[in-house]
Amino acid sequence: MSHNNNPHFENSPILLKGEKVSKLFGGLVAVKEVDFHILQGEIVGLIGPNGAGKTTLFNLIGGLFHPSTGAIRFEGADITALKPVQICHKGIARTYQIVRPFLKMNCLENVLIGIIGRPQREKSKKKEEEEASEFLRFVGLGGKERVMSADLTLIDKKRLEMARALACGPRLLLLDEVMAGLNPTEINQALELVEIIRGQFKITLFWIEHVMGAIMKASNRIIVLDQGQKIMEGSPERVVADPRVIEAYLGENHAYGKGN
Amino acid sequence: MEKQKLSVLVLAVVFGGMALFPPFLLSQYWLHVMIISLFYVMMASSWNLIAGYTGQVSFAHAAFAGIGAYASGILSVFFGLSPWLGIPIGSAVSALLGLAVGYLCIRMGGIYLSLTTLGFSEILRIIITNEDNWTRGTMGLQVPGLFAEYSKTSYYYLFLVVAILVLILLYRLIHSDLGLSFRAVLNDETAASSSGINTVRIRIIAFTISSAIAGLAGGLYGHYVMLISPDVPSLGQMFLVLAMAVIGGMGSFAGPIIGAFLLEILSEYIRIYGEYHVLFYGLVALTITRFAPDGLMAVAGKFSGKKRVGVETL
Repeated sequence: MSHNNNPHFENSPILLKGEKVSKLFGGLVAVKEVDFHILQGEIVGLIGPNGAGKTTLFNLIGGLFHPSTGAIRFEGADITALKPVQICHKGIARTYQIVRPFLKMNCLENVLIGIIGRPQREKSKKKEEEEASEFLRFVGLGGKERVMSADLTLIDKKRLEMARALACGPRLLLLDEVMAGLNPTEINQALELVEIIRGQFKITLFWIEHVMGAIMKASNRIIVLDQGQKIMEGSPERVVADPRVIEAYLGENHAYGKGN
Repeated sequence: MEKQKLSVLVLAVVFGGMALFPPFLLSQYWLHVMIISLFYVMMASSWNLIAGYTGQVSFAHAAFAGIGAYASGILSVFFGLSPWLGIPIGSAVSALLGLAVGYLCIRMGGIYLSLTTLGFSEILRIIITNEDNWTRGTMGLQVPGLFAEYSKTSYYYLFLVVAILVLILLYRLIHSDLGLSFRAVLNDETAASSSGINTVRIRIIAFTISSAIAGLAGGLYGHYVMLISPDVPSLGQMFLVLAMAVIGGMGSFAGPIIGAFLLEILSEYIRIYGEYHVLFYGLVALTITRFAPDGLMAVAGKFSGKKRVGVETL
């Protein structure tokens, strides 16, 4: 796949690269021979109908599952067979579609885990706590340090996961539907965060989102999955206009219509 | 934060009181009860480290106490080693076997880990029971005491000092980064792993430390009662330790300590009912699980106006 559909980043090095990545669960093909790459500094969106294999692809990158065939490279190194902890240490952090904060720990402790988990640490405990507080403030959870994460709303739990992922000090951040359930104002706030994460933190983003307006606005490039296969890749404008993408989404509606 | 300090203060007062209280005011019988209670404090608190803080419900904890007791006992009986050296060695042997069992159980969670440790515990008990040369089977191994002149007062102070040191160690551990990692593993192993926590390492560390403490407690116990029998590594013993931690409050620091004192003292009062004391235990356990499923410390937490009980608070 050529890079020329994304002129801003044509000189950036490839950060993450998947080569013919497939994942089979028994007889079910969840991801089928997907080639993809993320350039350093990009924001790349991953969209597709439900069950298209988006989260599975994230789980393959994150090491929760391992590809049945194919390879995944990060900064040139093969990470296909690595475990989640090793992948985190390599510089990839993530959030989960179905949130997984540490429920019986307070917000500060949740974020501290990300800092404790770093391969290199040199700061004092106090400085680490201050840093964790800063991440909480950044995602809009300032002042909730001592609140148990189980007591947070779903949206705040997503924010907390984002703070924890940032605390890991990643170079690539995988965000899985962080904007679901947000109102338009909150979506705009989230988009600002995304821009700061890229601009100031210098973190590359790969994100799954169903909120089309948001993903079209913020992404440099979009990858479309349908039934485990990559059907399209390109700039947001090209993707929304592509008949295959429209079919994949409308086809789903059509199928529902047939079911009745 | 303040409640955490409060619970530390309460424990400090209790143990300080025990240290200052003139033991000659206690009868020999109650002195014995206090010594055994302190043994259970160490057992329940160290079991809480793996079960309450990393979610590994091991049934091999009494077995590790047995390993410590028998290792030290055998060294002193057959090799003439001083128990003062034998007990730390026994503790180290327990730690090593704990490391091995912990490693074996890495990929297991929940019920599978419990069953594997249960199997380990039973295999050990059967070996000890049927072995004759080294363990003297069901007759038990007679071992020397720790003091030239037998005195329950000396044992009382020894157990008290060691128990306090163990508790300080556990407290510092639980409130360190390692302790936070333990809790993250307990909460969500997958999320902990993808946040950069080496969950395998964390679980094995917890298992090893906990086994070492069980071995230490077992060794002390053996050289106190001076007769080590297969009852030490028995499942009956294991369930008593489990009940202490659960009734007191698993995953809280003070819970297992309270539970240990409570059940040990209680058992002395209901001893007169013979076999019925099991029924009584059952009733206590049933009542607690029905009305205070998170243990007594959770109830105490509720009364002090705290909704949720974590390490933070107690």
